[in-house]
Amino acid sequence: MAEFLQALAQGLLIGSTYGLLALGMGLVYGVSGVVNFSHGDFISLGMFLCLALYSAFALDPYISLVITVPLMTVIGGLVYWYLLRPMVGHQFLMVVQLTLGLSLVLQNGILMVFGGQPARTPSVVESKLLILGDVVVRVPHVIAFVVSFAMAIGLYIMLRSTDFGRSIRAVHQNAHSAALMGIDVSRVQTLTFALGIGILAIAAALLLPGTPIQPAQGLRYTVITLIVVALGGMTNFVGIMLGGLIIGLSEAYGTIYLSDTLGMLLPYGIFVLIMLFRPQGLTWSSSR
Amino acid sequence: MRQEFYKTLTSPVWLVILVLAVVLPPLLPSYYLHIVILALVYVALASAWNIVGGMAGQISLAHSLFIGTGAMLSTALLLKLGVNMWLGLVISAIISGVMGAMIAWIDFRFQLGHLSFVLITMAFAEMGTVIVEGWDFLGGASGLLLPQDKGDFLAFQFGGGIGAFWVMLVLAIVSILINVAILNAPLGYYLRTIRDNENAARAIGVNILRYKIAAMVISAMLSSVIGTAYVRYLTFADPYLLVSPIIIIEVVLFATVGGLGRAYGPAFGALLLVPLGEILRGKLGGTLPGLHYFIYGVVVIAVILMSPRGLLPLFEKWFSRMRPKAATSK
Amino acid sequence: MLEVDHLVTGYGGVPVLHDVSLTLNAGEIVGLLGANNAGKTTLINSLSGMYAPMSGRIRFEGHDVTAMTPKQRVEIGIIQVPEGRLVFPDMSVRENLLLGGINARARAHRPRTMDHVLELFPRLKERLGQNAGTLSGGEQQMLAIGRALMAEAKLLMLDEPSLGLSPLFVQYIFGIIDRLHAEGLSILLIEQNLNLTLRHAQRCYVLERGKVAIEGASDVVKDDPRTRRAYLGL
Repeated sequence: MAEFLQALAQGLLIGSTYGLLALGMGLVYGVSGVVNFSHGDFISLGMFLCLALYSAFALDPYISLVITVPLMTVIGGLVYWYLLRPMVGHQFLMVVQLTLGLSLVLQNGILMVFGGQPARTPSVVESKLLILGDVVVRVPHVIAFVVSFAMAIGLYIMLRSTDFGRSIRAVHQNAHSAALMGIDVSRVQTLTFALGIGILAIAAALLLPGTPIQPAQGLRYTVITLIVVALGGMTNFVGIMLGGLIIGLSEAYGTIYLSDTLGMLLPYGIFVLIMLFRPQGLTWSSSR
Repeated sequence: MRQEFYKTLTSPVWLVILVLAVVLPPLLPSYYLHIVILALVYVALASAWNIVGGMAGQISLAHSLFIGTGAMLSTALLLKLGVNMWLGLVISAIISGVMGAMIAWIDFRFQLGHLSFVLITMAFAEMGTVIVEGWDFLGGASGLLLPQDKGDFLAFQFGGGIGAFWVMLVLAIVSILINVAILNAPLGYYLRTIRDNENAARAIGVNILRYKIAAMVISAMLSSVIGTAYVRYLTFADPYLLVSPIIIIEVVLFATVGGLGRAYGPAFGALLLVPLGEILRGKLGGTLPGLHYFIYGVVVIAVILMSPRGLLPLFEKWFSRMRPKAATSK
Repeated sequence: MLEVDHLVTGYGGVPVLHDVSLTLNAGEIVGLLGANNAGKTTLINSLSGMYAPMSGRIRFEGHDVTAMTPKQRVEIGIIQVPEGRLVFPDMSVRENLLLGGINARARAHRPRTMDHVLELFPRLKERLGQNAGTLSGGEQQMLAIGRALMAEAKLLMLDEPSLGLSPLFVQYIFGIIDRLHAEGLSILLIEQNLNLTLRHAQRCYVLERGKVAIEGASDVVKDDPRTRRAYLGL
């Protein structure tokens, strides 16, 4: 029973951050149809920026956010404007290949700067634990959970009740009609991409304490994110957060109750089954 | 259409290639021979992938599974069960073909869009790496070491170096010729119809399932065979090299740079980029690891933005401009 | 108010509109008639800035707007109500109206214009919190017009406002058009319904295969035997 609860806590905590990672991708897909295969490498970039700031100024990752979030947001905006915007209207497949190329550039750019050895970025909360009866959780995981959900709720409110949020939804629902309202569709797409990358900077810092990082990890994050987004039905906000929790839980329970290998396979297995039988994602309604 | 294929077979270019293949390798320092062999491996792989990814327009990331099966399974069968590697090659190819058929069937049965196809094949690829790394029979995370290559042909040994060169040359040529043959056969026509407009293809009564399975099986078996030959050349069956999604990403990018869907496009891309990357790695790999991948990334982004149909059409245009009187190829 | 001068527009280098010229004076309702594929929707989208013209000029209130983006044209008051209405289906009526007034010029007075629009369409007031996708076709047309009014249109371009509506709703919508005209709005009206257009517009243009075939006061166009032929696409 203790084991069960421990896995539950672990899965939910990690899953919430997976959900946050996926929200950025889902938003971008919703407004521009771009599926970013370099998503995970941007997470890497966020983590290594924190590492660099720690090495240079001994900044705690949570404090580095003040620098990494604006920086990554700007990088995201530039990448969309100069690399992805010219591709809109081309075949979808070309965008996949372009972001795969971008993934190689980012991953190996990081490798050239930081080297390939696994590295750690310490934080003051890194080794702190929270003990609730039989369940022991790490404080960074709790912070990640709280911040992820706060971010998700903040994004939701932004989408519902600000002009920028409504522009994003308008472009998603009908880009032509949105343009007729005087919305600059390219600008909304660029800002949304920038926002998505900015969110990754936050997620990167949340995942960082206690996690060894290496440049080659990006692809795995991309895959997890894609799985979560697909589970959530690509653009469904609640569905994506739910998808994050499901993947987090299945990883946690899989590694405890099955073998290591089978545990790691479980999320992929769930993903393939859901893609086959519910390609529109987990949630029933199509609320966008 | 068939004449086109025979014309390719009887082209004088083959004689040039044959002469070069006989004369050049013994003269090359072993390092450059290694680069040539690697280039041929990727020419073969990119051409094999082109059947599904280029002609049918289905970006499959599952091909690392087929390459990995060809490499790891045939090695494991030899080392763990003493199965002759020729037989291992055949078994691996058949298993890869079956997996390919299954993926094509899933794609058809569930009417996956382009995006879902990429995602599902990527999930299969990831599952493949997890299985290989977690299953001791296939060598786990530490890989498997093949016995030394003594040049015993019956044991699938070619003596390394020049022997491996010939094997890869044959595989690369076979792979390209299969591309030429398919492009000039009804199958190629149907695959392009599926790529350009699947619904229209269905409407005019094209049996989509049959052609998709055919393309996938041919491509998967070919990739598997290349995988077996590649691992024999490398001697060390390294899962991080042979099963990792990176290998398929490289193949996809080479094919894109060269020109998707054309018979010679993917080969062209691999011939261009592999030597470039390997030389960069040789010169600067110690100080700047990853530089060659970085360059691949930059090149593919530049090519997609500036010439989305690949570099080969560009070169053909230059070539025909240099010889305005000569008849231009299509 | 609006002058279109020798406009040529097309897709992928193939012209759809060949040398179209038309004018619309302030406070006028001008009808644009023609068979399917005559180029009416291409013309209206060119006026909205959705396609860059291959040649020709568009002037609005004396300014050259040919090179302006769709956003800039909305900001100077050229507003389109698109064919098929294209409301945002998964947003509430209120959100649709707010989006209508999102441009820089209209944004500040949205509460006031919203009151005006809801007074014009009491039906929308009842449905304010409902998703636009759940509205009937007629209600969606009201919303689409309301959304355009939220943008503080100076020139309202309506593309097939009666399409797919019941006769009662058609009558209602044309009543609204007349009322807006009486309030001083300039209107460019694209319609399939020939008689309705000729009755409500002061002047009409008939497009035929991307060219203006007939133009003039509605009575004149009505009596021109070529009109019905062009309209049937013969």
